[in-house]
Amino acid sequence: MTREEAGAEDGSASVRPSARRERAGPTRWLERHAIGLLGAATVVVLAVVFYYPVLTVFADAVRVGGEWTGEVVGEVLTDPFYFGLLAPIFGGEFGAVGEVAAESPLGLFGFTAYQALLSTVASVALGLPGAYVLSRYEFPGRRTLRSLTILPFVMPSIMVAIGFVAFFGTNGPLNDLLALVGLGPVNLLFTLEAIVVAHAFYNAPLVARVTTAAWESVDARMVETARSLGANPWYAFRTVLAPQLLPAVLTGALLTFVFTFMSFPIVLALGGFQLATVEVWVYSLVQELEYAEAATLAVAETVVSLALTYAYLRYEARQSGGGRAANPPPRKRLVPDSPSPLDALERLGVAAYAVVVAVVFVGPIASMVAESVTGPSGFTLQYYEFLVRRQVEGASFQTKPGVAVRNSVLFGVATLLVALPMGVTVSVLTARGGRKTRLADAAAMAPLAVSGVVVGLGMLRGLVFGVEVWGHRLQVTGPVAIVAAHGVAAYPFVVRNVAPLLGGVDRSVVESARALGATRVRALLDVELPLVASGVAAGAAFAFAISIGEFDSTVILATGSSSYTMPVAVERYIGNRTLGPATAMGTVLLFVTSLSFVVVDRLGGRWEV
Amino acid sequence: MKRRTVLKRGGAVGIVGLAGCIGGGSGGQETTTDGTTTPAETTTEETATETTEETETTETTEQSLSGTLKVATYSSFVDAPSSSPGPWLKKEFEKRHPDVTVKYETPDNEVNYYIQQAAQGVDVDADVYVGLNVEHLIRIDEKLGQQALFAPMADQLSNYGHVKEGLKFDPQQRAIPYDTGYISLVYDGTEVEQPPTTFDDLLKSRYEGDLIVQNAKTSATGRAFLLWTINTLGEDQYLDYWTKLEENGVKLLGTWDEAYTAWENGEAPMVVSYSTDQVYANRYDQNMEKHQVGFLNEQGYANPEGMAKFADTDTPELAAAFMDFMLGQQAQGEIAVRNVQFPATDWADLPAEFEKYAKEPENPVTFTYDELQGNLDGWVDSWARQIAGGR
Repeated sequence: MTREEAGAEDGSASVRPSARRERAGPTRWLERHAIGLLGAATVVVLAVVFYYPVLTVFADAVRVGGEWTGEVVGEVLTDPFYFGLLAPIFGGEFGAVGEVAAESPLGLFGFTAYQALLSTVASVALGLPGAYVLSRYEFPGRRTLRSLTILPFVMPSIMVAIGFVAFFGTNGPLNDLLALVGLGPVNLLFTLEAIVVAHAFYNAPLVARVTTAAWESVDARMVETARSLGANPWYAFRTVLAPQLLPAVLTGALLTFVFTFMSFPIVLALGGFQLATVEVWVYSLVQELEYAEAATLAVAETVVSLALTYAYLRYEARQSGGGRAANPPPRKRLVPDSPSPLDALERLGVAAYAVVVAVVFVGPIASMVAESVTGPSGFTLQYYEFLVRRQVEGASFQTKPGVAVRNSVLFGVATLLVALPMGVTVSVLTARGGRKTRLADAAAMAPLAVSGVVVGLGMLRGLVFGVEVWGHRLQVTGPVAIVAAHGVAAYPFVVRNVAPLLGGVDRSVVESARALGATRVRALLDVELPLVASGVAAGAAFAFAISIGEFDSTVILATGSSSYTMPVAVERYIGNRTLGPATAMGTVLLFVTSLSFVVVDRLGGRWEV
Repeated sequence: MKRRTVLKRGGAVGIVGLAGCIGGGSGGQETTTDGTTTPAETTTEETATETTEETETTETTEQSLSGTLKVATYSSFVDAPSSSPGPWLKKEFEKRHPDVTVKYETPDNEVNYYIQQAAQGVDVDADVYVGLNVEHLIRIDEKLGQQALFAPMADQLSNYGHVKEGLKFDPQQRAIPYDTGYISLVYDGTEVEQPPTTFDDLLKSRYEGDLIVQNAKTSATGRAFLLWTINTLGEDQYLDYWTKLEENGVKLLGTWDEAYTAWENGEAPMVVSYSTDQVYANRYDQNMEKHQVGFLNEQGYANPEGMAKFADTDTPELAAAFMDFMLGQQAQGEIAVRNVQFPATDWADLPAEFEKYAKEPENPVTFTYDELQGNLDGWVDSWARQIAGGR
């Protein structure tokens, strides 16, 4: 149906060879080879700031004291503490399965996957209604709200922990409120539930943002067609709309699982050591310089994450190619003109959802901000005064807030400029391929699937310490390295936001443009990207957010220079018995980031329909 | 006059030569852990002290040290918003030695950064490391073997004689203690009427869910508390003890900050922390009743912090002068007050407030290097697997 509608110029495909006119000159050459060049550049950047450093660490798993050995890997894989039931199976001792099942059936990996699964379910459950409201309703401040959804994503874990402990604590505002209505007290902290809710705090916005982008580019005419053919609304949604949204929802779920599978500071701060994850072990093993074991665990984490990613990509490949154009249905108003009972019920649901959002998101963030103006004896601005004083009087070896803000914004914008072309290029190159392309696509997702602790360690060894080449030590540090590292961490988000939508674009439109003489890049810029603008905008927002929030590699690459960013400053302002200055800096981060998101979204919004 | 000439030529090494004699040739590993000092030695030490003090005051114009000293340390030593000692030390040392510049380096990985550099064959650029503990030394010796990251130093420091015997944690005398904390309980006196006084008390149902401890895998205080239980209950008993502690609802959080914040917010009335807690409480005008310090078995686990000279430094005199300065009377007082830790020496200038509110345990306990070596990883690992395992 859509194929005919969208592909108005379909017939021109047959005249492709004769219609292509060649223009001479370097610009033309560059334009023709742009995709290839960008692809090559992406590979080089990935190799230098990701694959090389990370592989130097991974190699430790099988190289101990200069000797190749599989001993440590074997020990880890057959250790029930790590792999539970799988350990005797890996070891080929099937008789021991029963014994292990009684003692530690899940093992550290099993438990980690279990909590990640719960967190993913919670994040999707919390994120989907948000996507629905943001994409289907029109209300004042909708765009701003959509820009801000991504905010929790960038918050340093220490801030989230402070906010959660303050808000959900025994003596926190939530319990005060519950007491007012005769409920509670609720003891949420230091439980698995606390971890799951905190993970949902981080990742539900991600699910919401990705799904909103997809929802805003659905083809509503297909629904209309289905309805006109007699389908009831629910049936039309299930058979026509849901398949268009499912890839995005699953993308969000996949990313959430991968993130929460490798979660670490939040787990320790809000759950406690009894609920430790694999990443906690990786971290402490690296601290103890036990690299072989740490690397083995990190590789296992990556294998799990990448296997899931690959499985997802196979699914995604089967879904794409439907061929449709962005044509979202009109938005509803919060207060309908002529309310039906069904409308009223739906608005009631939206209101209930708003309450949940207030508790899970607004509460902890507000508590965190409140902490920044609360001293030992009540309201105070002393922590902000500290920030100002440090900016004005701070010694050269101390961290200045202004420098951190400037760096964060600059790096964020630079990351955007690096990650967008990288992500779009990878999306184009891996679109519509066979198994090999899917493998390449999965490999391109690797920056998401490697433990942050290991990435940091690899950066330290491979880039900060450098490599000796012909008597010169080549080091890669400072702003350029940081932006490259952020770009690498961020571009998978661009890919995952753009690729599924790009896959849905009608090929005939692109082919027509090509037939009329447009280069691949022209067709991409003028035809395809505008069609998937909402995905590009979401990818851009994520790229900026990743850069703002990145900690592991930034803190390593900024060592000994003044290239530190806001999250690094937050960490450094943690004082003995006073988190005040850190929360003040965290509030600055919150403010600067909110402002930037609104600006980025407004600028990007000019693209959108 | 003669002394000054020596100083001028050899810098700190001059004084150091003398201090070296005093130490009674304590190059061997045993003598340092052995706490006995003969009266004769003590007298010489005191004489040496007086001379040094004299030198310290006139030094400003007499010294001949110059150059840049790179001091590596953990970031809160120089950058924390409370009153970190770093900036004061730099200012004061540079005032005494106008031709010297102190440069701080605070890599995120702290001492691991330098261990890795050494392991990878990268030149270590720093001269002095501030912030070592006994576990770092064990790790260094385990991972680097014969490759020396730090060089022995004690016999070159004129103030070394003032370092408290029980705090010297490096048998090879590379790491020189400059301050120490005592791990203890801190409890809210308005909630806990009858504080626990023994480890066994903590298992009583009266204290169920009342204690927050840091995780020994990721936090120094948590690790100290774990070692304290091993020290007190023994290698064979401590795991059982922890099983019971868990059954009694102990909360194990990742870092000291997290644990202390949770305690301050009233999530539990007792937390493992430092015995200097009231110094802070007093500084921030807190209700003292809410900041009570409790020792278990009348003990506190000592967690001394040390400094060491990098083996490859090209300014050993400057490094020695800085370290000697850190052990000086005035600096010892300043470090203690700013870091809110106890001085590691017997002669620090401490304000009366500090003396009043900093509580010292009756019996400070700690494991020595030799006791920990070869055992530490196993002890902590068994504990960690017990806590996080079984699921």
